[in-house]
Amino acid sequence: MSDAALDGLGPVDYVVVEFPPGSSNFTGEMAAELIALVDSGTIRLIDVLVLTKADDGSVEAMELSDVGELGELRALETELAELLAAEDVAHLAAAMDPGTTAGVLVWENVWAAPLASAVRRSGGQLIADGRIPIQAIIASIEADEATATEGE
Amino acid sequence: MPLRPARVGRVGVIRAPVAKTAVVAKAVTPGPAPIAKTAVVAAAVTPGRRRRRI
Repeated sequence: MSDAALDGLGPVDYVVVEFPPGSSNFTGEMAAELIALVDSGTIRLIDVLVLTKADDGSVEAMELSDVGELGELRALETELAELLAAEDVAHLAAAMDPGTTAGVLVWENVWAAPLASAVRRSGGQLIADGRIPIQAIIASIEADEATATEGE
Repeated sequence: MPLRPARVGRVGVIRAPVAKTAVVAKAVTPGPAPIAKTAVVAAAVTPGRRRRRI
């Protein structure tokens, strides 16, 4: 990839979404939302893996194309960059409970690329980033409420 | 089924074992007042609602 192409690359994120036994309810809604994000140019889907962790802790990884009927996802599957390596599987699966299945999604935040480029051109450099869990927001609100109650 | 050959032998991009995060779904799904809790979280990220001068 050239420097110019790299300069225009948005931040790349991943998630591991676990489906405990008996809780999966695949209606096509997830695929539709994913396709909408790609079609709107919000993200570019880079990679997808499906992991299963057996009760004994052994892990099996599957390509998206190996997962039954893909429907509308087929178009996205053909565009995947296959960024993840086989050695990533164990690291990703470390978060999974035995007996579960998980989807791993890797995507480029296309929406953020112009801002990231502008920041770099302005001399800025990313020194930290992260995600604030909803639980942390709730805890903060509850602590505020407790403090307010004490002050009454 | 095995992974595609192109994935084998390459250096990975996930540098360390991934730790399980708190399960986000449980924070905003049903409890005594799920809608109220969702609204409170939404209010917390609404501009100007919680900002204080330090």
